[in-house]
Amino acid sequence: MELSNLSHSLNLLLPELTLSIALLVLVLFDLIFHHDKKIISYVALIGLLATGFFVINQFSLSGFAFSTGNESYRNFGMITIDSFGSFFKLIVIVASVIIVFFSLSSDEIKKTSERIGEYYALIFGMILGMLFMISATDLILIYLSVELLSLSSYVLAGFTKLRERNSEASLKYMIYGSVSSGLMLFGISLVYGMTGTTNLYMINSLIQIPHLNLFTFSFAMILIFAGIGYKISSAPFHFWTPDVYEGAPITITAFLSVASKAAGFALLIRFVKITFVSYIDTSGFWQLIHVFDWKTLIVVISIFTMTLGNFSALWQDNLKRMLAYSSIAHAGYIMLGLAVLSNQGLTAMLIYFAVYLLMNLGAFLVVMLIANKINSEEIDDYDGLGYSSPFLAASLAIFLISLTGLPPTAGFIGKLYLFVALVDANMIGLAVVALLNTVVSLYYYVRVLKHMYLTKPETAIPEIKTSKPNTILVLVLLIPIFIFGIYFTPLVDLAKGCITILGL
Amino acid sequence: MEQNHLLTYLLLTPIAGSLLILFLKEENPKLIRWLGFLISIAAFIISLFVYFGFDASAADFQFQDKILWIKSLNVSYFVGVDGISLLLILLTTFLTPLTLLSSWKAIEKKVKMFTFMMLFLETGMIGVFMSLDMFLFYIFWEAMLIPMYFIIGIWGGEQRIYASVKFFIYTMFGSLLMLVAIIWLAVYASGPLGSFTTNLLDLYKVGPSVPREIQSWMFFAFLLSFAIKVPIFPLHTWLPDAHVQAPTAGSVILAGVLLKMGTYGILRFCLPLFPQSAVYYAPFISMLAIVGIIYGALVAMVQPDMKKLVAYSSVAHLGFVVLGIFAMTEEAVQGAVIQMINHGLSTGALFLLVGVIYERTHSREIAYYGGIAKLIPVYCAVLMITSLSSIGLPGLNGFIGEFLILLGSFKSSVLNSWWFTVFAASGVIFAAVYLLWMYQRVVFGTVKNPELQNKLTDMTARELIVIVPILIFIVWIGIYPSTFLDMTRLSTEKILRSVGSFTLSLVK
Amino acid sequence: MTSIPMEYYLVLSGFMFSVGIVGVLIRRNAIVVFMSIELMLNSANLTLVTFSSYLGNVTGQVFVFFVMTVAAAEAAVGLAIIIAIFRNKLTVDIDKINIFKW
Repeated sequence: MELSNLSHSLNLLLPELTLSIALLVLVLFDLIFHHDKKIISYVALIGLLATGFFVINQFSLSGFAFSTGNESYRNFGMITIDSFGSFFKLIVIVASVIIVFFSLSSDEIKKTSERIGEYYALIFGMILGMLFMISATDLILIYLSVELLSLSSYVLAGFTKLRERNSEASLKYMIYGSVSSGLMLFGISLVYGMTGTTNLYMINSLIQIPHLNLFTFSFAMILIFAGIGYKISSAPFHFWTPDVYEGAPITITAFLSVASKAAGFALLIRFVKITFVSYIDTSGFWQLIHVFDWKTLIVVISIFTMTLGNFSALWQDNLKRMLAYSSIAHAGYIMLGLAVLSNQGLTAMLIYFAVYLLMNLGAFLVVMLIANKINSEEIDDYDGLGYSSPFLAASLAIFLISLTGLPPTAGFIGKLYLFVALVDANMIGLAVVALLNTVVSLYYYVRVLKHMYLTKPETAIPEIKTSKPNTILVLVLLIPIFIFGIYFTPLVDLAKGCITILGL
Repeated sequence: MEQNHLLTYLLLTPIAGSLLILFLKEENPKLIRWLGFLISIAAFIISLFVYFGFDASAADFQFQDKILWIKSLNVSYFVGVDGISLLLILLTTFLTPLTLLSSWKAIEKKVKMFTFMMLFLETGMIGVFMSLDMFLFYIFWEAMLIPMYFIIGIWGGEQRIYASVKFFIYTMFGSLLMLVAIIWLAVYASGPLGSFTTNLLDLYKVGPSVPREIQSWMFFAFLLSFAIKVPIFPLHTWLPDAHVQAPTAGSVILAGVLLKMGTYGILRFCLPLFPQSAVYYAPFISMLAIVGIIYGALVAMVQPDMKKLVAYSSVAHLGFVVLGIFAMTEEAVQGAVIQMINHGLSTGALFLLVGVIYERTHSREIAYYGGIAKLIPVYCAVLMITSLSSIGLPGLNGFIGEFLILLGSFKSSVLNSWWFTVFAASGVIFAAVYLLWMYQRVVFGTVKNPELQNKLTDMTARELIVIVPILIFIVWIGIYPSTFLDMTRLSTEKILRSVGSFTLSLVK
Repeated sequence: MTSIPMEYYLVLSGFMFSVGIVGVLIRRNAIVVFMSIELMLNSANLTLVTFSSYLGNVTGQVFVFFVMTVAAAEAAVGLAIIIAIFRNKLTVDIDKINIFKW
């Protein structure tokens, strides 16, 4: 590998490099500053902002890092930098910044403040894994980045060790995670055996010639999907989600539900698109190579995922657990965008993700602020909250209404574009299924509103005062929900500009 | 046509007012009440300006205001009124201040939130009636759900939570189906029109050319959503719960305006957008309407609870409106529009009156009362006029609407059978039975219940101020309906013209 | 030298993989479950190496090195978590680790 190639590659990897340096600095500072650990949060913040800066700088950039340099194939690399990746990286970074703010005011995390250095180091490990997942185009790197993300998050799920449920969440996460990554690895080894390469672009050009054992290949694809499906918590690989979301510290739950899911989806989209699309027709529909029926798989899985998520959420009494099931359901909705297999569907997914980031983090944030005071996440304990703490309750209500997808909130826009993509692809039946699911979801979201506003509390709950920074943080998530709900052209334009995946 | 922002001001007045109220202190309910009332009066005055500026001799949408909103979807903020929507907007702006005034005593807790919700709701209702863009329409349509949910849920009766959730889920289900149909139609329109659009005036041109089979699906998707709101017979089960549990103001708005949105939607969207399907399925839907008329009347007859009785009478009255719309003759549709207004006035007034005595005795049981004629004569007189108007006594408003609908359905070539008229007419008789019977049991006879002596007092000045304007209109429409019929004539004709050619093809 | 046919290796690795999956599903001791997971990873390693030498392509062997590292890290994390849970519950039986239910 030539030196110029290396420097070119490193230039493309600036965000990841920055993040790694920040990670090292965090570990160092953790060793140096024994007593006052406050500074570590700020270091984390600065590291994230710097990374974010480089990500934004990369928006118009595209290229391959670490090209294999093999003459017989086109010069594809292990890592692809493109606007699609930058979009998801930005989502991850924004989510991370918000999570740092979360952690600053979370009681659970404050109780373990002497270990805050480890906490941020592990979070940075997760972020690094996500960034690589988003841009990886080589099966080796895909596997490694998934593992990097997973290992860090296994530990974080049980980080506080305060309650039994933390370590139980951690163990369950670990077992399910290892099994699914084992399945994925076996699938990868089969694909490697059949094609002799681990590079997605090369696999794409190799499978265009029909010489594969289709059964084995499909089997391998399903195994690989198991690994990715686990990350995005799609049924039937979702079993860990409710337990881990309920058991983990709420900052980590929120982070997993948004960032980890975003990275998983980016990986899934990139994997499907690069490996299987033979060409994109004039109206933006992807024509797949006929080796594996992704469309049917994704349609079935997404219907299954959202139905299961929504119906299970109906009888949850713990708000965190309910939000976990709701996030499973949302994964189902988002997958619909992929099932369309078109540029329009992809745009809809990106829009949905940007919106989902705001509303889901917002919901978790409010739940956390409330849990800090009343020390409970049970929905029954929210009785009468609408009157004792009007601001928090109203914010939670708006976040939940947005999750339902009612206008004029941003959640509606996400659903709208998904529906448009589905109808445009003539998949109206699927749109109707999604719609029925939305009605089901309405019931459990409204149930929270009911407890906050309509049910009289048995014992009067005290007012929950929010500090100024927290109020601002809630507003930062809340206001865009209305802005994008009413004027969403900028968001749509951004998403439209970010659907190009390099090489296609 | 020149741009005119009057409608936008009308739309913004209540919402701006409601935001203003959010900043007031909860401790001063009097100020909040007055301010809310004045804001709704202001909205009424603006709507009067619209009325006086309205040109009844033009069939087009007037006061159009259009701003491109979302370029990528070709969605714009586009409002305008024709005779039908103007009449309904006037009804809305007329009823809202009255309901606010009526609830000065009934609503004692959380006055600020209540006033906020009512004004928010008013914006939603006005917006629904003036939107000329399907996307905008949908947003207003959905935006009303949340305030109504809270109005029923917070200030309602004992089973308010069950009722509010039921109401929410029913309507949400229908409206989401409509959303899919809107998108479907807009995507379909991108073929002939060259781009995705939700502009209603453009879609009017496209709708009839949608292939028959797809058109039926879209028609039913829209119809289902509206039918839940109306409600048409098998979908009515949310209505009694919501009506009975809602506070008086909520019931009045629900009966007076919200139900009309369903029938308005049928008239504005289902008929002109999907004329073939509308004509084809008209007998079927009219049948459901007839079932609704008779069923509503029979069930109303056996209700022990006054509010429930009025609620079921709504099902029957709305059945008339639906029958009128699907008869598709000029008389019938005109009658349907007038009947929408009538129902808003008479049923609204009935709910107010039930609320008046409920405030005093906290009972709505018919059996609890009896012989109150001697105790509160003014109230009984007012109740008499309102009941008679609801029954359809000649000289009062109900008669005009029902007569036109019956006449029109008899002549209708779409329905093509006089059986519809016969069965519908029986509904009028039933209405007389259940309302007069209730009146007799409540008002006449001897005072059996000693509690009544102490608790009942006659109507106060405030309550009279609320009810008298409604009575004026009840009599006005009954004696001189031309004021209103003239307004809607051309608009009705225009809708019927769009269906007309298909009507003829069916007759052949 | 007669070489062993590739199929033999693949059948062996398939067998190992199945044993791993069955182990995860039926064993109740968290540590044994972990060992089963390791078995799954190693069966994949065997496949990779087999294909690598059969195809004459070094990528698979490189991959195996990475997988071994990951497996080591996973074991470290996993055992740490099991110890944490053992301190809380004094058991590593998965059936008894059941605070969360549907």
